[in-house]
Amino acid sequence: MKKQSRHFGSRFLLLLLAVLMMLPIAVTLVYSFFSPEEIRTYMATRNSYTPGSLMEIRLVPEQVSLMQYYRLLITDQTILRFFINSALYAIAIIAGQLLILPMLSYGLSCFRFRGRDLIAFGIVLLMVLPFQVTMVPNVLTLRALNLLNTPWAVILPMLVLPFSAFLLRQYMLNIPRELLEAGQIDSAGVFRCFLQIVLPMSKPVIGTMIALSFAECWNLVEQPLTYLTLRTDLHPLSVVFSQLTENVTGIEFAGASLFILPALFVYLIYQDDIMEGIQVTDIK
Amino acid sequence: MFRTKKVWFFLMPGLSLLLLFYVIPFIGGIRYSLQDGSYANLFVGLENYQKLWSNPMFLLGLRNTMELSLICAPLLWILSFLFASGLARVYPRGVFARSSVLLPYLAPSSAIILIWQLVFDFGGPLNRIILAMGGSQVQWLSSSAMRLPIIIMFLWRNLGLCTIIFLSAIRAVPVSLYESAELDGIRPLRRNISITLPMILPSAYLVFILSWINTFRIFREVYFLSGSYPDQAVYTLQHYMNNVYAKLNYQMVTSAAYSFAAIVLVIFGVLFFLQQRASNEINE
Repeated sequence: MKKQSRHFGSRFLLLLLAVLMMLPIAVTLVYSFFSPEEIRTYMATRNSYTPGSLMEIRLVPEQVSLMQYYRLLITDQTILRFFINSALYAIAIIAGQLLILPMLSYGLSCFRFRGRDLIAFGIVLLMVLPFQVTMVPNVLTLRALNLLNTPWAVILPMLVLPFSAFLLRQYMLNIPRELLEAGQIDSAGVFRCFLQIVLPMSKPVIGTMIALSFAECWNLVEQPLTYLTLRTDLHPLSVVFSQLTENVTGIEFAGASLFILPALFVYLIYQDDIMEGIQVTDIK
Repeated sequence: MFRTKKVWFFLMPGLSLLLLFYVIPFIGGIRYSLQDGSYANLFVGLENYQKLWSNPMFLLGLRNTMELSLICAPLLWILSFLFASGLARVYPRGVFARSSVLLPYLAPSSAIILIWQLVFDFGGPLNRIILAMGGSQVQWLSSSAMRLPIIIMFLWRNLGLCTIIFLSAIRAVPVSLYESAELDGIRPLRRNISITLPMILPSAYLVFILSWINTFRIFREVYFLSGSYPDQAVYTLQHYMNNVYAKLNYQMVTSAAYSFAAIVLVIFGVLFFLQQRASNEINE
């Protein structure tokens, strides 16, 4: 019992921080049940620069309303259209990564060959380089292949997300070597070893990879802005949303909630994987 | 460990994409930064770099990006370490606290910007608190004060992932190490620094690198709040790159990218060296 009381201070601080962190998302969800008119009136009280005139803090709607969702899903489907763009990018990129990255990391962790550490270190370097740098090589190739202003411009460079490759490799390096050797003695080939030992054992890190890649794909901003300059119709919602809500429409919070919802699902599915999947032994 | 040529089958898809979109054009692109961009494409040596490094907008963007990363990365690193060690001690299985910090990482920037616009409004909750404490209201979103909202948004988004990486590393530290510390009566904070930190060095290093490279994405929040030409205090390198890229000035884009790559890689080199030295010391 003494232990309990000693932790009271930290317990309170941690919980307070946790609640504060959740607040922006929670308030977005709450506001999505205000009627569009109420949101419009409320948002109109922004940007008043008279000192002392404060905005109300609203957390309860005058009347719970589903009107925002109705308009969003039925009357005006603009947000929905770009939401589908976002979903298609996310599906294409994650599916591609699932095909490519576990294989790459298997090769870089369970095999020994000349140049292996060099390639692995190259991936770490690539992970460090920010978009401001990698956009140049990407654009050069995309331009040469005539892929600028097509969906491929966003998808293809993302398929080899260095951070995912790095996490997968780190995890696979921790798979007990004895297991692989046992597989070898059973004369299971490298392919069966991959499918029957390494892949099943890597489930947590693959779940982590999916969740983190999803976060990446659901929040694409720089890539569409640079690679799809002429085709704004191909932009994902992550770019368009702020333009659509520049002029208050009254349905932006339902839009935002709808946009956040898949992230919630992805988190719920993969939360345990994320706790187990990130294992770092040595960055080299 | 396998030693067989079959490894190239696994490496091929990933490696060829890496080579095609990153490595080859990265090397091939160097020549753009050395040409004058005219029809004849004359070789001009380092003239582009000279022009770039005397361009006030480039210098402004670079300075802001570096300053923001210098503030944000260490801050995020310290906060997530404290938060993770608190969680590990107080809530060994704390699902709520863990979820509430990780969700922001998955929520799209453009959806959540609506709430931030309210929070930092001239009449919004933050100024309300400041007034209540006897201060005077600040124009957070339209002046050089914008750095604070940007930093808060950055911390909010990235705290979760960094905390989780720390947390899973801390959990792997043998409990017996702490028991002797408890007997010696070492305070929790000192215990974290002198026992936990050396044990989780690779993860701590990864978190620092991640925090640091994520600071280069601060552009997103700035872009959603104030478009392509924000206040001078938050004009980032990505703004400069996007604006010259929109003018199809490939010479300046490539020179800027390679200059930035050099800076980032040098800093990474220093960090890498420090980490290697620290881990050697611990192992001895």
